Amino acid sequence: MKAINPLLLLVEDDPQFQMLLSTTLESQDYRVLTAATGQDGLITARNHQPNLLILDLGLPDIDGQEVIRRLRKWSDLPIIVLSARNQESEITQALDNGADDYLTKPFSTAVLMSRIKALLRRVTKMPGGTQEIFQVGELKIELTKRRVFVGEQEVNLTPIEFNLLCVLIRHAGFVVTHRQLLEKVWGPSYVEHSHYLRIYMGQLRHKLEADPARPRYLLTEAGVGYRLSEGEN
Amino acid sequence: MLTLVDWPFREVLTPSNILLVYLLGVFFVALRFGLSPSILASLTSAAAFAFFFAPPIFSFAIADQENLVGLAVMLIVGAITSNLAENIRHQTYVAEQRERRASALYRLSKALAEARREKEIIEVGVRHIHAEFDGRNTLLFPDDNGLMRYPIEPPLAISLQGVNLVVTRWVFNHGQMAGNGTDTFPSETAIYVPLKGSTGTIGVLSLEPINVRRIFAPEQRQLLDTYVYLIVHTLERANSAELAKNATLKMQVETLRNSLLSSISHDLRNPLATIVGAACTLEMDEERLDKSSRKKLIAVISEEAQRMSDLTIKILEMARLEAGEVVLNRQWYAPEEIVGSALRRLDKKLKTRPVNIHMADNLALIHVDAVLLQQVMVNLLDNADKYSPAGRPIDISVVTMPLSLSITVADHGPGIPTGLQQKIFDKFFRINEESAQSGVGLGLSICRAIVEAHGGEIQATNRNGGGTLFQLYLPLLECPPTIDPEEKG
Repeated sequence: MKAINPLLLLVEDDPQFQMLLSTTLESQDYRVLTAATGQDGLITARNHQPNLLILDLGLPDIDGQEVIRRLRKWSDLPIIVLSARNQESEITQALDNGADDYLTKPFSTAVLMSRIKALLRRVTKMPGGTQEIFQVGELKIELTKRRVFVGEQEVNLTPIEFNLLCVLIRHAGFVVTHRQLLEKVWGPSYVEHSHYLRIYMGQLRHKLEADPARPRYLLTEAGVGYRLSEGEN
Repeated sequence: MLTLVDWPFREVLTPSNILLVYLLGVFFVALRFGLSPSILASLTSAAAFAFFFAPPIFSFAIADQENLVGLAVMLIVGAITSNLAENIRHQTYVAEQRERRASALYRLSKALAEARREKEIIEVGVRHIHAEFDGRNTLLFPDDNGLMRYPIEPPLAISLQGVNLVVTRWVFNHGQMAGNGTDTFPSETAIYVPLKGSTGTIGVLSLEPINVRRIFAPEQRQLLDTYVYLIVHTLERANSAELAKNATLKMQVETLRNSLLSSISHDLRNPLATIVGAACTLEMDEERLDKSSRKKLIAVISEEAQRMSDLTIKILEMARLEAGEVVLNRQWYAPEEIVGSALRRLDKKLKTRPVNIHMADNLALIHVDAVLLQQVMVNLLDNADKYSPAGRPIDISVVTMPLSLSITVADHGPGIPTGLQQKIFDKFFRINEESAQSGVGLGLSICRAIVEAHGGEIQATNRNGGGTLFQLYLPLLECPPTIDPEEKG
């Protein structure tokens, strides 16, 4: 199965931090390419076709957002962005531009490893087509039959609640921004109406979570979006 | 007219009495109308007397010698009384003018005394000069480089018309009057008066009076000088008050910076020393250390680095809030979600700590910056966890009140000593300075800054039966938006 170890591209301008990450990643048997600028990163991505990109948003030459936009024109390479704290709007923008996940500095390398693993797993899983059943903890969703169970108990969801849940399942384990959810569930004209999302997310939690104030599955990423737990956290 | 009054009595009254009546008339005229009319009145009276009363009647000739003498006396007395009356009139006028000026000055000084800021003082000055000297005027001051400029906001909209900056600069540099009515720049329509303060000329008054000559009358000049003196004096006083205030503020900032520095240096130096020391030991004595010591050192580095990271984040957060850089990104959120995401961020720490949540199911959405408010909750919960004995629960409750949402976080810790319930929100304040548990003393200050930015309030009280109760109120100003009901289908 493990014929070739996955190739990661790390675009980070701080040399110490780059060294730390590449050492850590290599110790986990990943092959690592590094770039210190956005330009360099884009060229390396084109030439070596890595399996995953770890991108620092603050780069000396071109904006990290721009790197994501240019890359997304020709590649659906998974991207994890790194950002400073208190920059929720930056993160949201990066995710809306097509990044797949984010981490705020400082972060523990253990979390980075689990995110990388999850992303790589999603990519290998994808060609298999649509999933039949999604299951995490007590929660079981039969996607094609549109049936939802908590434990043995079947739960009735409204169409919108079910659609919302489906979008989250499609990105299970990853954060989906408010904008993406509003656009996919309600349509492009609703992207500014975030209160729809809050109200339906509340309803969904009350139907699916044992304690809606301390959700286990439908997790809030404050200021960014929502993440459906895959059961690892 | 007096002739008509006297005519019926010509048989009764002697001519000398009739003369007295005329004299009375002349006197009144003098009092009322001044010198020239009164002299005219005495002359016409004399003529009328000669014509109508002194025999022969209806002729200017006077037969009786006595009447002739009487008439002469009347003329002389008339002239003298006219003069006297005129003097009285003039003195009354002068006194009235003086009184008017005095009351104008009084009004000005009263208005100036009420004005606090420089802008108000200038406005008061311009308005009063306008009222007294009847002309457009403005007060101009040099910019920071000492160069005269047009004011950015003119005190009165029309007052800047006709102001010549060249003349203004000349007056400012020479400290002398110029413009209309003077020897320098006489072709200007306005008069330019230097505003002389205790340390030299501080500005220039430009005045465009309707009647220029009136301004140069001695009394008016004196009054103008007094006006200028009063305004300049008030300005200087306000400036020195401002300087004193700035000095106090600077001192406070200095004190704050010192306490920040000492606090940061204490809180950052200790973990740094540990990290550097542990890393050095690992680097140098790698072979000599056994596995468990190595592990211990690595754990110490990791822990201390985490602590430093937390502190740095808090310090930066506070600095950001203080600098006013934070713009609230308000959106509609469910209170439940904010509490939930805060609890989730503390998942690891709260693993063994029971948390009771009391919250109605259908709380209305609140319009807040969720990231910041989540930070408030994290700080409060973190504190509650830090200071409570293991195993005792933290109680969270969220209640909607008529005009606000109240969120309480209560613990079973030692509580806050009385008198310190307010102080704990101050920056760098710690109840127990030496305690290893306490952080940098910024967590609650950050909470307060965020809650106040939302227009809310936060307070700490001691809980019945022990422990601390933090309560925050967020105003419910707007009605949450509604959503279209979902079509069943």
